[in-house]
Amino acid sequence: MEFGWSDEDLAYRRELRAFLAAELPDDWAELSKDGPGSEAQARFSRDFAARLAARGWLTQHWPREYGGSDASPWRHAILSEEMWSRGEPRGPQYMNVNWIGPAIMKFGTEEQKRLHLERISRGDALWCQGFSEPEAGSDLAALRTLAIRDGDQYVVNGGKIWTSYANHAEFCFLLVRTDPDSKRHRGISVLLMPMDTPGVEIREIPAVVGERYFHEVFLTDARVPVSCRLGPEHEGWSVVTYALQYERVGSPRYARAALTLDQLAELARSQGVLDDAGVQEKLGQARALCEAARALTYRVIDQRARNQPPTADSNVARVAGTMADRAVAELALELFGPESLEYGTFGDAQFRMAMTAGVAVGATEIQLNLIATRFLGLPRA
Amino acid sequence: MDFELNDDQRAILEAVETLLEQRAGAARAVALASKGDYDAELEAALANAGFTDMALSEETGLLEAALVVEAVARAGGLAAIGAAALVAPHCAGRALPGPIALASAGERGPVRFGAHARTLLVAAADEARAVRVQPGDAETVASNFGYPMGRVRTDGGESLGAGSGARLRSAWRLALAAEATGTMRSALHITVEYLKQRRQFGHPIGSFQAVQHRLAECAVLVEGSRWLTYEAAWRGATAEASATAAAYALAAAHRVFSETHQLSGSIGFTREHDLHVFSMRLQALRLELDGVGGHQRALTRSRWTTA
Ligand SMILES: Cc1cc2nc3c(=O)[nH]c(=O)nc-3n(C[C@H](O)[C@H](O)[C@H](O)COP(=O)(O)OP(=O)(O)OC[C@H]3O[C@@H](n4cnc5c(N)ncnc54)[C@H](O)[C@@H]3O)c2cc1C
Repeated sequence: MEFGWSDEDLAYRRELRAFLAAELPDDWAELSKDGPGSEAQARFSRDFAARLAARGWLTQHWPREYGGSDASPWRHAILSEEMWSRGEPRGPQYMNVNWIGPAIMKFGTEEQKRLHLERISRGDALWCQGFSEPEAGSDLAALRTLAIRDGDQYVVNGGKIWTSYANHAEFCFLLVRTDPDSKRHRGISVLLMPMDTPGVEIREIPAVVGERYFHEVFLTDARVPVSCRLGPEHEGWSVVTYALQYERVGSPRYARAALTLDQLAELARSQGVLDDAGVQEKLGQARALCEAARALTYRVIDQRARNQPPTADSNVARVAGTMADRAVAELALELFGPESLEYGTFGDAQFRMAMTAGVAVGATEIQLNLIATRFLGLPRA
Repeated sequence: MDFELNDDQRAILEAVETLLEQRAGAARAVALASKGDYDAELEAALANAGFTDMALSEETGLLEAALVVEAVARAGGLAAIGAAALVAPHCAGRALPGPIALASAGERGPVRFGAHARTLLVAAADEARAVRVQPGDAETVASNFGYPMGRVRTDGGESLGAGSGARLRSAWRLALAAEATGTMRSALHITVEYLKQRRQFGHPIGSFQAVQHRLAECAVLVEGSRWLTYEAAWRGATAEASATAAAYALAAAHRVFSETHQLSGSIGFTREHDLHVFSMRLQALRLELDGVGGHQRALTRSRWTTA
């Protein structure tokens, strides 16, 4: 066991911070206040991700043959921490490099790899994730969107919901049911659908957590070439399972929460309350929660670095991350007081971030179900 | 970064677990506790096998010592191994005659192992003091919280030098985190195993989701405590890392206590069921060194204030 960073890792983090200091515009705080899905941030990400790519950093953890440099998952984790804690200047493109690209590497045809991987690693591709449906939230396998084969095309009918970034995306990682008589996990396929396919219609769902967060995607007789299918027909569930195992700890929420907490401590100092025992205890409590989330996430990254199969440790890390996010958000409201009621302030931003933590990427209760059965070995209900 | 035990650490852990299987365990803890006894034999066996020397030896360090302390707690060992293996070496730089009890200067309440101690390590503001004590110096206190307790006098003794007080508090926090982690692991394990087989309404209770979620949250807290403890030990028990581990683990201790008892029903209150051996100790650990609030304040001071 050892918990230190190598000199190279430390140097890399310094280099990244210098890069961010130089590359993020002066009005970045204002620009990023609506989150990675906002118009402004998505536009910014095209330029920014390309600059990361030029440095060789965007997809460094990918194999060389796909435009990476075989860097260790730890280096990518450092990148993710620095990006996420600064408000994710990669915009939606963090998804591409975390799990969409890896899923295409594993299941894609040569043509799909050629079409997508190079583009993703260039930092010039916006994707969205078409999983959830009105009747299929936590119970994703209840999805109903149908893709019926017609020659060398699928005719897709149905709809997706909560789709972040749908308004900007060029492609959708779309889950559909290709076998109309199937139930649950069998009969599902993944389509890499171009968003400009006729029959795809997008409507924004206004949300309190941020502008342009959620969309509904309506699919009406949308014709998608069979060549866009990722992985075997009807066997898409294994593709999703593979993809999601990368996503669960993909966004290092604890890193942003910890940075916010440092700023809250500075605020407490400037208000002259940092010596107050009650304030010290709350800061300490929140800091310990952030640190635990970090340590538990690192445990999962360590497993990945060893190419070990995924375990329920990633669910453990995810729940710990949500606990940390919430503790910091509560403290932000308390310390800033009514100031946080203004949109786009620091306290408001952390609060919105924490609000969705327990639902996005699989709700907390689902994580707890998996911890109970897979980690503790409790019998299924 | 490396989250797996290396070969040496694995060997140490296996060896200490083998020793503990023979010389510790819940049944032995119950027998000792019924007479208010201290497990001097266990302490001697661990010391003879070198398990209390880990922190000071060339090949090993605080991390190996913390693994030992956690294992002893997990096995319900009734000996002051946290103080012997982690606190004395880090604070004094040498072994001190055991059993060792830990107290803050002016402490008036009962102290763990206070009545059996040969050395009392006292945390004063800046310095730590090592007080030699004899059996009978301290007043024995009857306690239901799993450890033999004594009321001690914290004056006098040999100063361990400027800065030793801070080292004592940091190592004490690390030891508390390690002991709480081991103790929580056993309390949770006992509860989970019981709820897998205990049936009501025609189902194992452990299959009810309301129960599962509470146990799963405990598992998150125990895992967090475990890794923060290892990391703090690896970092050499710095003030910040130790306070982080203690703030998290001792807050977790209260939660794990509450949930394991509530979910075990009446059997959990009996002496025949092993849960109490571990659960009651969690409360004693939780109150030491100004408790969770004290660890949280220490964390904030070490991270954000320069004073
Ligand atoms: C910020 C954000 C971004 C998102 N982006 C996307 C996206 O880009 N693409 C996409 O496809 N989806 C996206 N989602 C949707 C997200 O994946 C779903 O919201 C999530 O899976 C939960 O589904 P649901 O909202 O339908 O909640 P429901 O499934 O209706 O659950 C409601 C509540 O019931 C609980 N519950 C459900 N089932 C059980 C059970 N078996 N046991 C106990 N409790 C249960 C849940 O935990 C939750 O607390 C996003 C969500 C958020 C918040």
